[in-house]
Amino acid sequence: MIAAYLGFYMVMSYGMNYWLALVLSTFALGVFGLVIYSLVFHRMRSAPEVNLFVAAMALLMILEGIALYFFGASTKWFLIPFTRRVITFAGLALPVQRLIIILGTLVVMVLLELFIKRTAIGAALEATAQHREGAMLCGIKVTRISAMAFIIGTGLAGIAGMLIGPAVLLEPTMGMGPLLVAFSAIVFGGLGSIGGSVLGAFILGLVESLASGYVSAKYSLIFVFGIMILMLLFRPKGLFGREVWRP
Amino acid sequence: MALLEVGGLTKMFGGLTAVSELDFQIQAGELLSIIGPNGAGKTTLFNLLTGFYRPTSGSITFNGIDITGCKPYQMTRHGIGRTFQMTSIFKQSTVLENVMIGKSLHAAVGLWGSVFGTSATRREEKRTRQKARELLSFVGLGDKENKIAGGLTEEAQKRLSISMALATEPKLLLLDEPTGGVNLEEISGLIELAGKIRKSGTSICLIEHKMRMVMSISDRIVVLNYGKKIAEGTPKEVASNEEVVKAYLGARYAA
Amino acid sequence: MRTLFSPKAVAWVLVLIAAVAVPPLVGGYVTSMLILIAIWTIMCFSMNLIFGYTGQLSLGHAAFLGIGAYTFGLITVKLHVGFWPAFVIAIVFTGLVAFLVGIPALKLRGPYFILVTLGFAVIVGVIVLGWIDLTGGANGLSGIPRPNPIPLPGGGKLRFDSLLSIYYFILFFVVLIGLFCHRLVRSLVGKRFIAISYNENLTESLGINTMSQKLLSFTISAILAGIAGVLYATYNVVISPEVTHFARGMDVVAYLIVGGAGTMAGPIVGTLVLMTVPEVLQILPYLKTLINGIILMLFIIFLPRGIIGWFNTNLGERVTSKRAVNGSA
Repeated sequence: MIAAYLGFYMVMSYGMNYWLALVLSTFALGVFGLVIYSLVFHRMRSAPEVNLFVAAMALLMILEGIALYFFGASTKWFLIPFTRRVITFAGLALPVQRLIIILGTLVVMVLLELFIKRTAIGAALEATAQHREGAMLCGIKVTRISAMAFIIGTGLAGIAGMLIGPAVLLEPTMGMGPLLVAFSAIVFGGLGSIGGSVLGAFILGLVESLASGYVSAKYSLIFVFGIMILMLLFRPKGLFGREVWRP
Repeated sequence: MALLEVGGLTKMFGGLTAVSELDFQIQAGELLSIIGPNGAGKTTLFNLLTGFYRPTSGSITFNGIDITGCKPYQMTRHGIGRTFQMTSIFKQSTVLENVMIGKSLHAAVGLWGSVFGTSATRREEKRTRQKARELLSFVGLGDKENKIAGGLTEEAQKRLSISMALATEPKLLLLDEPTGGVNLEEISGLIELAGKIRKSGTSICLIEHKMRMVMSISDRIVVLNYGKKIAEGTPKEVASNEEVVKAYLGARYAA
Repeated sequence: MRTLFSPKAVAWVLVLIAAVAVPPLVGGYVTSMLILIAIWTIMCFSMNLIFGYTGQLSLGHAAFLGIGAYTFGLITVKLHVGFWPAFVIAIVFTGLVAFLVGIPALKLRGPYFILVTLGFAVIVGVIVLGWIDLTGGANGLSGIPRPNPIPLPGGGKLRFDSLLSIYYFILFFVVLIGLFCHRLVRSLVGKRFIAISYNENLTESLGINTMSQKLLSFTISAILAGIAGVLYATYNVVISPEVTHFARGMDVVAYLIVGGAGTMAGPIVGTLVLMTVPEVLQILPYLKTLINGIILMLFIIFLPRGIIGWFNTNLGERVTSKRAVNGSA
C-alpha cells in the first residue's frame, strides 16, 4: 500500500518514469523495513511470539492511520502510459499492465528461488528459520539475517505494490484484499513451499476471476477464502506443505 | 501379549530417514532402555509413540489396540505418558496447579458446572486437587506445592514433569533423558523414583546416555544407530555385542 | 468468607457502586459515552477469554459483533420477532457460525490462525456491505427496537426508552458477563485454557483434547461478542457496516493489551482509558485507530502485560504470597 502510494506521488506529481519509480519505491521500502526491524522487532526478539504479531498489527493500524490522514479516504487512480493500453493477441484483449504483473512475478519468483537455494545468504536464511540457536552456533549472525529477511519482505511488498498500483484503485485499506488472497494461496499451496505458493496464487487468482465473471465481482474474495477453508478442513498441510515442526 | 508392539516403524522427513523399519516390543512390567548415539532417532521414536509425528509407515499396537496415527491426546488417553528432553512444565503456575492440569484429563468437569459451581463440579475439583497432592508426595515434592514451578531446581522440575505425566495414569511411561542436567547424588534419587513407579504397576521406557545407570536398572535394552535397531537384549548381551561397542559404547563396557 | 473483605473485592464493589450511581448525576453525553464503553468492555471480555486466557489471537471478533447485531436487527425489523426471542436467536446463531469457522481455523497455529480470523472479518465485511437487499449495504438497518417493557411486581412497567434505562440494562449484562468470566477462569476448565496458552503441546501430551477446548473458548467468546452486538443494536437503534469493520477488532485488542490481557480488571481499565482519553483530548474520530496503534505499539514493546499486569507484578507480590500461605484458590 505504501509502495503504491509512494509510486503514485512520484509518477503523478513529479512526472517520474514508471520503471525508475518502481526501483526507487522498492528501495525505499527496503529501507523502511530496516527501520521497522531495528526500532521494533529487534527489541522484541525474546518476547513471546504472540507479542510480535500484536506489534505487527499495531504497525498496520499506524500505517493505515497515517495513510488515511495524509492521503485521504477517497480513492485515487494511478495512471501511467501503460494503464489504458491493451494488446490484442490471438483474438484476446490483454491489458498491458496485467502482462507486466505476470512477467514481473515470474522474474521475482525465479530470482528469489535462486537466491535462497544457491547463495550462502539464502542458506543462512533457511537455517535461521529452521533452528535459530543452531544457526547461531554455526556462526551465522542471526540479527543481520533477521534484518535481511525483513528487508527482503518489505522490498517484495514494494514491488508488488508498484505492480498492482496502476491496475487497481488506491485507497488506504487496499492492502487487505491482496493480503487475504496471498495468505490463502500460501495455505492452499502449502506452508514452506515457494513453488506451492505461486501455484496456489495462480489457481486462486483464476478462481477469483472466474467468480468475478460468473457470479459477482463483489463476492469473488469469498470464493478464494472459501477454498482456503476447504483445504484447511481436508488437508491442512496444503498441496506441497512440509511437515510442521513439533517439539 | 506385549504391552507395546512396534512393527516396521519408519519416519521420513523429506529425504531424511529418521527412523527405519523398527521392530520391538515392551512387555508389561518391564523397564526397557533405548540407547544410541545422538541423532540415532531416539526422541523421534518417542514422538512417534506419543502421536507428535505420524509414521511414514509401520504400526504401533498398544494393549492389543492399533494406535498408529492417533493424535497426542488420544495416545495419552490410551495409556502412554511421557516427559520431554527439555523439561516441559508450566513455569508460571504453582507446582500443585501443574499436576492438577495433568490430572484434569480424568476430571468430569463441564462449562455449566464450572460457572454455576454445582456440587458435582466442586467435588471433582476437590478430588483432582487431592490426587494431585498424593502424586506430589509420591515423587517427593509434597512440601513444595505452592511454589512457582519456574523457581524449582532442575532436578525438582524433572520430578514435577514426571508427576505430571504420572497424573495421566499411564500404563507405559516414556522418560526422555530424565537425568539431563542432574548431578550424581540426585541421580540415585531419580532411580529410586523409577523403582517406585515400576512397583506401582507402570512400565517404563527410558532414553538415557548414562551407561552405568542404564546397565544397572534396565531389564532389556534396544540400541539404535542411524534410525535402525542394531541390537536388542539384556544389558549383558548388549554390552558384549560387537556392533554396539563399535558404534557407541567403547570397549570399557564389554563383558 | 475469607475473600469477602479482601482489598480486591472492596475495590470491585466500589467500582460497581460508582457505575450505578454516576450516570444519573452527569449529563446525557457522559452517559452515552459510558454506554459505549460498557459495550466495548463486553467485547474486551470476549477477546480476553480467547486471547488473554487461551492464547489465540483472533482478529475476527468484530465480525461476531456484527453478526450478532445484524442478525438481531434483521429478525426484529424485517421479521417482527419479539425482543427476547430475537436476542436468543441472534446469539445462538453467532455461536453456531463461530463453531463452524473455528473448526478449520483452530487447526492452524500462531500467525496462520490470526490471518484466517482476519480474513473471516474481511469476508463478513464484504458480505454485509455487498448484500444490499438483506443488510441495506452502506446505509445499514434502522428502527431496531428497545427491550420490551417488563411488568414490575408492584404494578407499572419498566420501560427502556430513556438513556438511563438502557444504560442500566447494558450494565446488567456487563456485570453478568464479568461474573461468568471470573467463574470460568478460576475453574478447572479455565485452568485448561490457561495451560493451552502457555504450552499447547505440553497440554496435549497430558491427554487434554486441545482442539475441543480451543473451540469451546472460541465459541463462548464469539457468543459474548454477539451479545455486545445485540446490545449495540438495541442502544443505537441503527446499525451500519462500520460496526463490523476489522479495524474495530484491532481496537479491542489494543484496549485489552493496554489494560492487561489475562486479568479480570484489564479489559475494563483498558477500554475505559483508551475510549475516554481521546474524547477528553478532543481527538478527531478518524485518527483514533492511528492513536490506538501508536499506544498499542508502545505498550507491547515496553509494557506488554498492560496496566493491571504491571500492578500485579510490581505491587501484587504481597498479595500473591499471602495467597500461597493461605492455600491456593
